[in-house]
Amino acid sequence: MAIRDTSPLARPADSGRAGGGEIRRRARHGGTGTISRTLRSERLAPFVLVAPAVLIIVALRLWPLLLGVNFSFTGDGERNGTMVGLDNYLDLFQDPLFRGALRNVGLLVLLLPVAVAIPGLLATFIYLRVPGHRVFRSVYFFPAVLSPVIVGAIFNLMLAFDGPLNTVLAGIGVGPIDWLGDPDVAMFAVVGVQIWATFGMALVVFLAGFATLDSALLDAARVDGASLPQIIWHVIIPSLTRTIQFVFVTTMIGMLTSMFGLLYVMTSGGPEGSTYLPEYYIWIQQGQMNRPALASAASTILFVIMLVVGLLQISVLRRAGRED
Amino acid sequence: MKQRTLWSAILVAGLALAGCGSATRPASSPGDSSKVTKLVVWDWKSGDAAAASYVRKAKEDFAKKHPGVTVEFVAQPFDQYYTLLGAAIQSSTGPDVMLFNGGGQIRDRVDALLPLDQYVAEDEQRLAGWDAFSKDGKIYAAPVTLQGHPIYYNKTLYEKSGLDPASPATTWDEFIDDCATIKKATGVRCFALGNKEGAGIQFFLSGLGSGILTPQEYDDWIAGKRAWTSPNVKRVFKLWKEAGDSGLNNDGANSTAMFNDAFAIFNSGKAAHIIGLMSDIGHWKDFSEFLGADKVGVMRAPVVTTGVRPTLPYDGGIGYAVAKWAKDPKLAADLVRSLTTTDALTSFYSDAGAIASDTTIDVSQGPAAVGTIVSEIKGGKPALHVALSSKTLDLMGRLSQQLLSGSATVDEAVEQLAASDRES
Repeated sequence: MAIRDTSPLARPADSGRAGGGEIRRRARHGGTGTISRTLRSERLAPFVLVAPAVLIIVALRLWPLLLGVNFSFTGDGERNGTMVGLDNYLDLFQDPLFRGALRNVGLLVLLLPVAVAIPGLLATFIYLRVPGHRVFRSVYFFPAVLSPVIVGAIFNLMLAFDGPLNTVLAGIGVGPIDWLGDPDVAMFAVVGVQIWATFGMALVVFLAGFATLDSALLDAARVDGASLPQIIWHVIIPSLTRTIQFVFVTTMIGMLTSMFGLLYVMTSGGPEGSTYLPEYYIWIQQGQMNRPALASAASTILFVIMLVVGLLQISVLRRAGRED
Repeated sequence: MKQRTLWSAILVAGLALAGCGSATRPASSPGDSSKVTKLVVWDWKSGDAAAASYVRKAKEDFAKKHPGVTVEFVAQPFDQYYTLLGAAIQSSTGPDVMLFNGGGQIRDRVDALLPLDQYVAEDEQRLAGWDAFSKDGKIYAAPVTLQGHPIYYNKTLYEKSGLDPASPATTWDEFIDDCATIKKATGVRCFALGNKEGAGIQFFLSGLGSGILTPQEYDDWIAGKRAWTSPNVKRVFKLWKEAGDSGLNNDGANSTAMFNDAFAIFNSGKAAHIIGLMSDIGHWKDFSEFLGADKVGVMRAPVVTTGVRPTLPYDGGIGYAVAKWAKDPKLAADLVRSLTTTDALTSFYSDAGAIASDTTIDVSQGPAAVGTIVSEIKGGKPALHVALSSKTLDLMGRLSQQLLSGSATVDEAVEQLAASDRES
C-alpha cells in the first residue's frame, strides 16, 4: 500500500512525460518493454532491499522461535518427538525449583529500586563535588569493565566462609555468615555483587543526566537555605525523572538477562536451589538433565515474561517522553 | 540428505541465536560407508598436557592399523561438554567418537550411540568398568579409566595425634574416636567436605555405603530395587546429618566447592580425611604432591552395620563411545579400541595418575596408596550414587544441603528421593 502511494515520488522522471497513466496503458498493451521492465523493477526494488533483513530475522529469529515453542510441546527421552500437549508446562509449574526461579525474578524486581538508588546517590555526590570526586568517578566505573566470571571468582574468595569478609566481621564481634551457603542470604549476596559489578554504567547515565540539570535551580535552593536531603528530594529527583526511568529500564533488563555468569560461578543455583533464575534452570535442564523439550518450555515462559516486562518498559519510556 | 543437512544447519544456527530450545527429529541411520578418511573425536581430555602421551600412543596405534585415516581430537571445555553434545545429538551431526562419563550421562544418551559389543569382545576380560557404560545388556563405550571413591587420610596428622597410620579405624565408632583424638591433638577437622555443587553427598553415599548397607541391600540398590525408607538407607542420611551437626566437617560445607576447595582443605592439612576420587582429580597423585606420596593413606569404609564387609566403590570413569551417525562404524570402533590399548592406558596412568581400566597394568612401582586401591578393584562393587538418574542426584544434592542446614529432616529427604527415583 505504502509503496504504491509513494512511488510517484520515487520516479521524478514521470513528471516530465505524458503522465503515468499513459505509460501504464502502453505497458499493459505490451508497448515499449524497457519502460515496463523499469517499472516492475522499481516496484520490486523496495522488497528486494528489505529482503535480506527480513529473511535474516525470519530465518534466524522468528522461525527458530516458533520451532522452539513447537518443540516445547514435545516430550523428552523416550517420548522424544511425540506431541505431549501441555505436559512440559505442567511439569514446570510442579517443579519447586522452577517456581523458586520465578520467585527470584520477583525478588529482583523488588530489589530494583535499591539497584537504581545506589548509582543515583553516588552520582549526586560526584555532581555536588565531594572531595575526591574525580577519583571516585573512575573507581566506580571500573567494575563495569570486568567480566562476570572474574567478578564472581573475586567474590567467591571474598565471601568464602573463612574468607576476608568474615574475618573482618569476626574482628568486630559479628559471627561468621555463610554468605553463599545460607539459602536465606545467598540470593542477596549474588544480587549485591551484581549491583556492585554493574552500577558504574548507570552512574555514567546519571552523570550525563546531571549535565542537563539547571544549576541555577540548585543555587536558588542553596540561597533559600535548603538542606542536602531537601535539595535531592525537591530539586534533583524531579529534574532527573527521565534519566531515572531510563536507568530503571536498563537495570531491569541487565538483572534479568545477565546474571547467569555470576550465578554459575558463585552459587551454581544453590544452596538448596535458592539462587536459581529461569536462565540457569534452562541451562541445567538442557545440558545436565538432558531434557531439551522441558528447557524449551521454560524458555518460552521466560520469553513471555521478558515480552511483558519489555512492553511495560516501552510504555513507561513513551509516557516519560510525552511528559517532556 | 542435502536437504537435511541444510535444515540442521538452520536449526543449529537458530538455536544458538534465539537460545530457545532446539528442534527434534528422528535419529538418522548410519550413512553409506563410502571411504572415510577422517574421524573426529570429541572429549575434554586431549587438551590436557597430562594426557598428551596417551593421545599420541592411541593415535600411533590407530595409524598403524589404518594408514590414510586422519584422526582429529577436538577438546571441548568440560563445563559445556554435554550442552554441546546435546546440540550435536539433536541434529545428528557431530563427532564420530566421543568421550562420556560413565553412569547417567551415557545412559541418558544411548539413543544416539552405537552398541559396541561385537567390536570390543576381545577387550572385555582385560578392561574393567564396563557396567557403567552398558544399558539393557548392551555396551555403548569402552572404559578408559576407573572412577571410584576411596577414603584418603593424612598419615602425618595420624602420627601427630599418636594414632597408628598403618591401621586406621575399621568401625564407625573407632573412626569417630580417632577423629576426636585428632581434633584434640591438632585442632583439625575429621572430613574435608565440599557440598556447594551437591557432590559431597554423592561421595559420602558411595564412600561409606558399603559399610552401612548389607551386601543384599547393596546389590538390590545397584539392580534398581532401592528401598529408600529402609533403616540402613536412612542411616546413610542420618550419619550425613550427624557428621555435619557434630562438627566432623569443615565449616561452611554448603558454600565450599568439592572441586577444588574441599581438596585444597585436605591438601593443606586442615582436615584428616576426605572421600576423594580415583582418577582425573582429587586422587592419590594430587594429594601426594602436597602431603608426600608416603603420607597419603587409603582406608576401607568404617563398618557401621555389624557383619558387613566394606568394598571399594568404583565404576568405569570415562570411556569412548561411537555415534550412531558415524559413517563407518567399524573404523570408529577400531579407534575406540586404539584408545584403550594397554600401552596407551599405561601412559594415562603414569602421567595423569588415573587408575586405568586395564587390569594388566603393573602398579607395583607406584606409591602404597595406588597399590591399596588397585588391590581392592577385584572385590569392588559399583558406586551407589552412579546408579541414580541425574535428576535424582540433583535433588539429592539440594536435599543434602537442607539436611546440613537443618531445613529438612531425614524422613522428608528419603521420601522425596524415593519419589524422584520411582519417576525416573
